[in-house]
Amino acid sequence: MKPILFVLFFTLVSNLYAHQPVMDMAPRWNNGYGVQTRVEHANSESTTWLEGVYTFKPSLRMTLKVPHSNGEIGDAIFAMPIKSYQNSGAFTSNWGLTPSVRMPTGGGSHWDAGLSLSYSSESRNLYQLYDIYAMGDTTGIDINFGLVHADGKGSSWFTLWDITAKDSDSGQHLLSGPVLVYFKRNLILRAEYKFAAYDDDKNWHGDYFGFGIGLVY
Amino acid sequence: MLNKTIAIALLSALLSAPALAKNYVISVNGIVCEFCAYGVSKKIRKLPFIDPSQYDQGVKVDIENQKVFVALREDALLDKSALFEAIESGGYDPIDIHQVSESEAAMEVIE
Repeated sequence: MKPILFVLFFTLVSNLYAHQPVMDMAPRWNNGYGVQTRVEHANSESTTWLEGVYTFKPSLRMTLKVPHSNGEIGDAIFAMPIKSYQNSGAFTSNWGLTPSVRMPTGGGSHWDAGLSLSYSSESRNLYQLYDIYAMGDTTGIDINFGLVHADGKGSSWFTLWDITAKDSDSGQHLLSGPVLVYFKRNLILRAEYKFAAYDDDKNWHGDYFGFGIGLVY
Repeated sequence: MLNKTIAIALLSALLSAPALAKNYVISVNGIVCEFCAYGVSKKIRKLPFIDPSQYDQGVKVDIENQKVFVALREDALLDKSALFEAIESGGYDPIDIHQVSESEAAMEVIE
């Protein structure tokens, strides 16, 4: 059954690449900007991502993500998320198309192009995000959905469930688990744990932990 | 005791109505979250006619009802197009605007 799911996922996605930073939701305003750091632990090693975002206007952003692991800088990813927002009463949603490029800042000379297609929506109590993507030899899908709890005084909690599936030359894996996101004015925190529900990937072993903290202005 | 408290709150709201006469409320489509409110408030606070001594530096966002309250300076006139433009640049769609009514002012006092 699981291989069939993967076939379904990856026949739907051919040339798309993911872009889902902690700040997928912000900054949404003209001339907004933000920085964040995100630590990932997987495959017995930790990677720290330094990320920046600049929002020209709600429909156009630019992001840069630089990984750092074992004392070395890895390949940076530059992306230009293009979003189309729809607002209606107590509901807001957007479609996103994100072209990106992975640059050989970690050494080597190989460049990769990527593209992602995403949809997310939010109401007073519910949030959902779907992202299909491809970059280089990797294709995948990322799904977040769950509850929003706002206190009406400037902070809110998102308790979400995440499903991430990836296919690459090294194999396939499917991760799933809980995500907790906290907003307080311009501070954003995200913590997630994903277990390997399916793992037939020679470059992937075990579970995933991630923690991010960001500020937007 | 509770009735007396509410009555006092309503009375004080009515008495303070003239001071709130230059406050406005805007209905805004899609403003459902706290970080939505942060971005819109940030843009509105930059407008020269906003009175930072009221609300939260001149702005209050009610995400339950998708409403944005703004306080105007005593000596300033409302620039509706600038206000709507600020909300749009914050990422959301303003629908309509009206002066804060006595009942809305009373609700603010009770809150």
